[in-house]
Amino acid sequence: MSIELKNEFGLIDISQDTVAQIAGGAAIECYGIVGMASKHQIRDGLTDILRKENFTKGVLVRQEKENLHIDMYIIVSYGTKISEIAYQVQSKVKYTLNKSLGMSVKSVNVYVQGVRVANV
Amino acid sequence: MKSINGIQFADMVQMGAHHLFQNADYVDALNVFPVPDGDTGTNMNLSMTSGAKETAAHTNEHIGKTAQALSKGLLMGARGNSGVILSQLFRGFGKSIEQFDTLNAKQFADALNYGVETAYKAVMKPVEGTILTVAKDSARKAVEVSEDVEDIRELMEAIVAEAKKSLDRTPDLLPVLKEVGVVDSGGQGLVFVYEGFLASLKGEELPSKTIGSSMDDLVSAEHHMSVQGFMDTADIEFGFCTEFMVRFEDGKKAFDETTFRNDLSEYGDSLLVISDDEIAKIHIHSETPGEVLTYGQQYGDLIKIKIENMRQQHTEIVGEGYSTGETTKKAEIHPYAIVTVAMGSGVSELLKSLGASAVIEGGQTMNPSTEDIVKAIEAVGAERVLILPNNKNIVMAAEQAAEILGIEAAVVPTKTIPQGMAAILAFNPQATVEENKNNMTESYAQVKTGQVTFAVRDTSIDGVEIKKDDFMALAEGKIVLSNPSLKEVTTSLIQTLMDEEAEIVTVIYGEGVSEEEANEFAAFIEAKYGEVEVEVYNGKQPLYPYILSVE
Repeated sequence: MSIELKNEFGLIDISQDTVAQIAGGAAIECYGIVGMASKHQIRDGLTDILRKENFTKGVLVRQEKENLHIDMYIIVSYGTKISEIAYQVQSKVKYTLNKSLGMSVKSVNVYVQGVRVANV
Repeated sequence: MKSINGIQFADMVQMGAHHLFQNADYVDALNVFPVPDGDTGTNMNLSMTSGAKETAAHTNEHIGKTAQALSKGLLMGARGNSGVILSQLFRGFGKSIEQFDTLNAKQFADALNYGVETAYKAVMKPVEGTILTVAKDSARKAVEVSEDVEDIRELMEAIVAEAKKSLDRTPDLLPVLKEVGVVDSGGQGLVFVYEGFLASLKGEELPSKTIGSSMDDLVSAEHHMSVQGFMDTADIEFGFCTEFMVRFEDGKKAFDETTFRNDLSEYGDSLLVISDDEIAKIHIHSETPGEVLTYGQQYGDLIKIKIENMRQQHTEIVGEGYSTGETTKKAEIHPYAIVTVAMGSGVSELLKSLGASAVIEGGQTMNPSTEDIVKAIEAVGAERVLILPNNKNIVMAAEQAAEILGIEAAVVPTKTIPQGMAAILAFNPQATVEENKNNMTESYAQVKTGQVTFAVRDTSIDGVEIKKDDFMALAEGKIVLSNPSLKEVTTSLIQTLMDEEAEIVTVIYGEGVSEEEANEFAAFIEAKYGEVEVEVYNGKQPLYPYILSVE
């Protein structure tokens, strides 16, 4: 499945992997994010932080007509205000996808899968 | 001052919070990163205010305990990216001095540094050129200076100076800041907090608003925001960027900033007003700069007037002819065009998406004439054209059209839709017509075409018995099978076409085939030939339930 954009010159197909990578890349730039986590931590055996090539396991992309819906599974840093960080992820992902794809993101749902304690 | 206790620290926090509060609007205006939503100042202010409240409520002579209160208040009130970072900076700061009654210069510097370390640990990919960088640079400087300096005031002075320098460097580290011409908003917020700290240590009052060179930052931030909103010159609602200063005079209207601001906002947008007792500086985008100036004159003398036509500027940037009112839409010029023939709106769309400039409706039972082709090419208005007939019955007409046209033209004699698709993909806009013709011809030769259609009468061709209304499979134009079952015919056709070199199979399904059937068929191919990639398109073509391409 891929995300389809249409303009006067033709079609643009963007794979969901690509969208997931853009979204994941934007998210990990946010302060307080330690990393992306797998949606199915036990099934995938990826209890740890996902690497870039696995972002699709932690970022789910759905397209409904013109709108994108994104689910993100994240790990946050201990001692931070989780609600704020989740909000930052939402706005940063929304902004970045809108900027790079020109698509409106209807929802960015953030699931906090874990808290990592920094060695302080 | 050799050391500070909890009460002194609490006062520093209050001053820092107050100074940030006073300048929150300015910080907002600078905000372009990570998301240009202009709320960094508001967020940082709310975070810091929460920290200051908690500190005020739990002020203790013990500085460790006071810092804990600040840390807790910041955490609870953290808003926005910069707010969270601020909370982390002081969380680390507080944690490292938990046990201390008072702090000397060295301890203070170390605590700041520890705060920076804590803040950096909470982020996977620190972005430099932000509040993090400003905090890091100034903390490093603090540690360095505290080796020789025992006076905390002196230390704080060095910290503020370095923080400002670091802030000035942020545009070099973060390209988006440079582009817009502003310093980092979060970093600026931190500088305000540190300035507040210093003022408290010195026992000074801070000016209520930072004015002066900062107006330039404000203006460029404001321009950036308003520029982001539109793309088209005609979309500029307020055309003149107007900047001026009013020097207040006795006997003229008394200046009240709120009233002034409200009144001016009627004339346009992107309004900025900065004032002190003698002067107000104004920046506004307005359609009627004259009226704005007249309004300003009620308060006093006008100085330093600058008015720019932004539509003109924008036009120059975009490089298009500027016209007032309606925008004239120029006919698009294709220096190089591909004109092709197809049946079915889905197929047309598919060909256009690959790069065809025009698709003429036709094929098999309704061949376009030479004239049709010429007209289509003229409508595109190209200087050079490649014609792809996609049908052997149209090749002649296409050749004739190419001769009549009087522009550089060549026919790539494609006989099927899959051949046409493969040929378009080989098109190179930089190459000459002749080169393209050769490359495209070579390219489509690699493609095998399968077609499924139905018989209109009983006959026998190539040794295949055909009954009316049966489905017929054509591999490369030759009839290979006839059978009443569409599924059987198509399945055996794909087996005829497939060979070891096949990598991509394209299934274009037409009228009489549902999407489910086509997907089922695609699944069959994928299951049987694991190596190949299958693409399915709805071609909406009549007469041919399936067109297959194997390459």
